[in-house]
Amino acid sequence: MLVKVLAFAGFREILGKERELEIKEAATAKELLAELAQVSPRFKEAAFDESGALRDYVLLMINRKRIDPILDLSRPLQEGDELAIFPPLAGG
Amino acid sequence: MLNDSEMNRYSRQIRLFGEEGQEMLLRTSVFIAGAGGLGSVISLYMAAAGFGKIRIVDCDSVELSNLNRQILHANADVGRPKAKSAYETLTGINPEIEVEALVETISEDNIDQLLQGSHLIMDAMDNFPVRYLLNRAALQRKIPLFHGAISGYQGQATTIIPGKTACLSCIFPRAPPATTFPALGSTCGVIGSIQVTEAVKYVTSAGKLLENRLLLWDGLNGCLEEMAYGRNTACRDCSDREY
Repeated sequence: MLVKVLAFAGFREILGKERELEIKEAATAKELLAELAQVSPRFKEAAFDESGALRDYVLLMINRKRIDPILDLSRPLQEGDELAIFPPLAGG
Repeated sequence: MLNDSEMNRYSRQIRLFGEEGQEMLLRTSVFIAGAGGLGSVISLYMAAAGFGKIRIVDCDSVELSNLNRQILHANADVGRPKAKSAYETLTGINPEIEVEALVETISEDNIDQLLQGSHLIMDAMDNFPVRYLLNRAALQRKIPLFHGAISGYQGQATTIIPGKTACLSCIFPRAPPATTFPALGSTCGVIGSIQVTEAVKYVTSAGKLLENRLLLWDGLNGCLEEMAYGRNTACRDCSDREY
């Protein structure tokens, strides 16, 4: 099935603004992120820590609705879903 | 009542929100946390627009590497406290308002004192620990917090109204790591200007605020997007508050 990834700020520099990905039926957000990490080592380094866990400050949304990275990452995605990923900016 | 000089000085924005709106701005005390890239833009536009009392706080001195973006300070200010040059620049732009510029490190110990009398808080910080402190103080005092942050070509802004919108900790539960971020003056210009626009709208009750909307500016691609969000019922800072 086809899903869309929308990246912001630092992630956009790595992944581009948006990309469509073909993933297996009912794949989870976690599996989608793992696939992106496999395709892009830079994304892997930016989004995951040394232990392989998603960095805790990374914000995720599915279809523009905020998801809890602990509770909702294993929820199956559906055809056409849009996963948005962005890091908070901190500079002033 | 506005005097002749004020009528003249603010004539172009009186066309927008009337003498009444201008009087509201003149009666508003603002707290600006930081006199760096965002703080420069925010304080310059707020002083020029005639926010009646501006208290700006920064603990640092001006460095040469600040001058690409921190337009409150001039080359001759290198080595001087930012608060001092901020005071001179802001009173130079508008001697008809009250400016207080303090060399202080914002902390748990002095935040209450620093916010005394302020009606709104402008976030011009460069780190999340102090932003969380400002957020808690805004919630406690029930005054709005106008958030902004930048990195390179990217920026974000939102308006936090205690009791009505999500708070900063609802949106960003965990701080990104502290790092020396790339900074472009014009990105500070975009985000700081949005924050001031929000404050003007809030004070004059105009338009639609960035409530529960995080505005994301991508200067590199020239696009502005927004993300909707809501209160986090388990938020460590606002979930146990009754309004």
